[in-house]
Amino acid sequence: MDVNKTIKELEVALKEALDGVEKIEALQDVKAQFIGKKADLSLLMRHMKDLPNEEKPAFGQTINEAKQRFSALIEARRETILAKKMANKLKKETIDVTLPGPSYTLGTPHLLRKITAEIEDLFMGMGYLVKEGPEIESDELNFEKLNLPKEHPARDMQDSFYLTEDTLLRTHTSPVQVRTMLEYGGAKPVKIICPGVVYRRDDDDATHSHQFMQVEGLVVDEKTSLSDLKGTLLAVAKHMFGEDRKIRLRPSYFPFTEPSFEVDVTCSQCDGDGCSMCKQTGYIEILGAGMVHNNVLEASGYDSSRYQGFAFGMGVERIAMLKYGIDDIRHFYVNDLRFNHQFKGGKS
Amino acid sequence: MKVSLNWLKDYIKIKESRETLAELMSLHSQEVEYTQQLVKAKGLVIGYTKSCKPHPDADKLSVCEVDVKTETLTIVCGAPNVAAGQHVIVAKNGAVLPGGFEIKQTTIRGVESNGMICSLDELGIEHKFHNEEGIHVIEGDVTMGDDALKALFLDDEVIALDLTPNRMDLLSMHGVAYDFAAILDRDITIPEVTIAYEKTKNSMTITTETELCESYYGSVIENLEIKPSPLWMKARLIAAGIRPINNVVDITNYVMLETGQPLHAFDYDLLDSEQIVVRTAKKGETFVTLDDKKRLLEEGDILITNGKEPVALGGVMGGAKTEVHGKTTRILLESAVFNPTQIRLTSSRLDLRSESSMRFERRVDVGRTRYALDRATELLIKYANATVRKDVAYFDHTDQSEKIIEIALERINRVLGSDYSTEHVARVLTRLRFDFKEKHGVFYVKKPTRRPDFESYQDLIEEIGRISGYDALPATLPSTVSQGELSPLQRFRRHVRQALTGLGLDEVMTYNLVSKDDVLTYVKEKTLKPIRIKHPMSDKRNVLRLSAINGLLDVVSHNRARQADAVHVFELGKSYQKSGERELLTLAMNGPYQSRKWQETPETSFFTLKGVLEALADFLGVQGLEYEQTSLENYHPHQTAIVTLKGETLGIIGKIHPQNTKRLDLDDVYVLEFDLMKLFEVSQTEFAYETISKLPSVSRDIAIVCDKSIPVKMLMATIKKQNIEIFKSVDVFDVYEGEHVGANQKSLGLRMVFADSTRTLKTEEIDQATNKIIKALEEKHQATLR
Repeated sequence: MDVNKTIKELEVALKEALDGVEKIEALQDVKAQFIGKKADLSLLMRHMKDLPNEEKPAFGQTINEAKQRFSALIEARRETILAKKMANKLKKETIDVTLPGPSYTLGTPHLLRKITAEIEDLFMGMGYLVKEGPEIESDELNFEKLNLPKEHPARDMQDSFYLTEDTLLRTHTSPVQVRTMLEYGGAKPVKIICPGVVYRRDDDDATHSHQFMQVEGLVVDEKTSLSDLKGTLLAVAKHMFGEDRKIRLRPSYFPFTEPSFEVDVTCSQCDGDGCSMCKQTGYIEILGAGMVHNNVLEASGYDSSRYQGFAFGMGVERIAMLKYGIDDIRHFYVNDLRFNHQFKGGKS
Repeated sequence: MKVSLNWLKDYIKIKESRETLAELMSLHSQEVEYTQQLVKAKGLVIGYTKSCKPHPDADKLSVCEVDVKTETLTIVCGAPNVAAGQHVIVAKNGAVLPGGFEIKQTTIRGVESNGMICSLDELGIEHKFHNEEGIHVIEGDVTMGDDALKALFLDDEVIALDLTPNRMDLLSMHGVAYDFAAILDRDITIPEVTIAYEKTKNSMTITTETELCESYYGSVIENLEIKPSPLWMKARLIAAGIRPINNVVDITNYVMLETGQPLHAFDYDLLDSEQIVVRTAKKGETFVTLDDKKRLLEEGDILITNGKEPVALGGVMGGAKTEVHGKTTRILLESAVFNPTQIRLTSSRLDLRSESSMRFERRVDVGRTRYALDRATELLIKYANATVRKDVAYFDHTDQSEKIIEIALERINRVLGSDYSTEHVARVLTRLRFDFKEKHGVFYVKKPTRRPDFESYQDLIEEIGRISGYDALPATLPSTVSQGELSPLQRFRRHVRQALTGLGLDEVMTYNLVSKDDVLTYVKEKTLKPIRIKHPMSDKRNVLRLSAINGLLDVVSHNRARQADAVHVFELGKSYQKSGERELLTLAMNGPYQSRKWQETPETSFFTLKGVLEALADFLGVQGLEYEQTSLENYHPHQTAIVTLKGETLGIIGKIHPQNTKRLDLDDVYVLEFDLMKLFEVSQTEFAYETISKLPSVSRDIAIVCDKSIPVKMLMATIKKQNIEIFKSVDVFDVYEGEHVGANQKSLGLRMVFADSTRTLKTEEIDQATNKIIKALEEKHQATLR
């Protein structure tokens, strides 16, 4: 008997059988049939006892090798079947990846809050504290301590919402500066910004709002100069409107500062050449500033012969309107979400 | 202040364009509102109408032969006042009128017309400055063929200054000239006045009973011939924005513009007195001003009287009775200084703001009061053929003592951050024509009366800074170093904003002024009284808000009315109460939340908002919020709760009453309003690190059936009260009501978690614990295991 021939025939039969197997259960049968205890291959072992001793090892090895090979073939088929089964299962799970996902949206912070936070962060980086105060203020803190006595003509410039004879809705966040100076007792340097809501008796239209937001700043020490104010405001202009911006100071008048300025930044649209946005001037007014008036320092307990400093104030709405070309200040308070949603995150 | 450049050239040499001047002005002095050519026209000449005949084919037209020296033009004219023998302004063919309107040869009803005879309106001079109908007929000496604008002194340019309240000195041409002289570093000439007085003495006596009139000078001027002012004066007044009237009125206005000192002329005969007594009005006194209106006076209003009765409201307006008229021949000319505050009070109360009151309000130059009177007298002699009685009657209590302002060079440089030398500062002070001395680096500057705004050395630093130019200063940063940081509350607000936007809510800001009619609608404490605005601008905004819910509902309504499917918003605002300002956190949710689109989206309910709140609380480290069902006006009576923590009320959460939302044309809206400070106080201050247990926790699910009315909160409380050491938490994973349980019952699926960080739990002890809990629920709530 030629054992090799028999094995070869069995192997051909196995391969043939495996080709027809599609299910794992059927594979078990094939396995039993070809390598089970009663399989022909197993039965071949019985012939070993008839062989001379020296041939026995080779014979055994041949059969074992065949068994291993058959086993491998069966396993390979098993994997094929499983893979096919999985593939079929997955095929049934086919989805249209172009269908939209749920609209998980993140909310949008209010643009005024976003810009305020941006300004706060810029100034914190320069060592400023962020100070806040009440919106209902006394006439004394809102006006009188800021060098605006009752009959001062400049009070015309900011008609106010009075609540009683001597309390009103603050017209600027300057009273927070006064509060801070009083808190410090005239004894230490002040370096603060004061963001907040303020009010003026204006009829609401595209460029006026009876309620708006301001960020004011104050630095008081023994040497802070107008040049320091210039450098600080240049930093603001560059941060808010771009690295290439330049600024200029134009003389103006506020009772609480002397000298006082309107601060212009070069127009970002035309780079200073003149366009419709800057009314052909090349510059856009962004804020008011000045060196703190001695009367203000003294009224808040600072010795004006020793201390000096600067103050500035900007309208947050104005900054936003200039930065993004927003044409109506009422957008900030109507909250049409089609407006609010335009100012999300990204790198801005 | 509108500055005529021709006028300015009387005092200083100008070679710059008006644009350059405007630019210099805005960088060194005051904002320029605009600049303009007074008349934007060219090609205008003086013509003479040799003849004027009716148009053969048109009733209202005339055909004129107009001599313009080089030729005689036939012009068809429609003005009713055209006639032969007039000097007129002719726009020849090719001339351009304001608006770019070019004159061309035309044929009007068969007659060829070569040019146009112009009215002042057509030159772009506002009607209020001349009140003329028809063409302008020139009164005065002109020459045919000359440039008409030049001949009429209308070839002027104007720089309109937008003055700040402190620069009262720039309300005069002299002041503007001083400023330009300093800016341009140029010489200035202020004309001196010479007057030939008559021999007749001024017999007036002038006294005051009030300090509110600081000085008063009066001249008696006689033999006046009232007539139109010279063309140049009229043109300058128009350039300055003042309507020419007659020589007497015009001269007082002209000198006011020149010097900043308002003047007033009384008809001397109507004054009917040899004395002027200044006093304040008594309360309730009345006076008829020259606009024929009876004015009710208050104590303090300054009255000029003739000793018997008032003749003028000092500094504000003259009286009807002593007004200069067409036949006036003698006047008392007044040049006085009044208290600025009082003038402001009187003029604003009576709504009588004028060029005069505006100047008095801001302080006039007390050094020019007499000069102005003399200057006007000189002009009246020259242009009204007047004579003036010898001696000016006056009193003058103004403080004209010499005041010295001291400033050290070191301080100038310290404030400006500059590095100016003594010589530089001295040069600037000289350019400003300030009288000063310098000694050892200290400048002693005499305060000029023409700059009443000067109070301290800060004003001087400003002058030195602005004339030197701010552009030249370096840009540095303050050298004080300090720590920039947010306060815990400021950080907390940012965390709230971060959490809520992360949860998909949009931040909004709404108005804090609201209507008193609905300020209390959504407020829990109905006894609160809103803070009222004293003089509100409208009924819609007459009180300060107590809640932001109304505002948020408006936002929801606005957006839903504009095709938004869902609105989920929050505001970090304030409630303004008599006891103080309270920070608020307010949320409103309406419509599908985080819509799954084509997949199923859970319906937005009370629990959607509650989930948002719990997520926020979790992020903020706030644990143990409790909800107590409550019934509140304008809220859903069974879907509203007060949220508390350890007995302290944090706020309210609930559904707006459907009746209210229906009125806004909205479906369900869920809102929440918290006292932000209370949330802040209970929020975790610092992270507390705990090692993470390596041992697993074990969970057990049970389903119980109990009475429908028992709140889950009570079942939970019972479970927690068992004080089982290994018990960690319990949560609800299922709620069922329906046919499989009794009519008044509900089934709850509860998941309990057990753990011990030191050991692995045994099955028996978990069983024991679970049983204990079930038993407690059975005993306390008659709950049964399902």
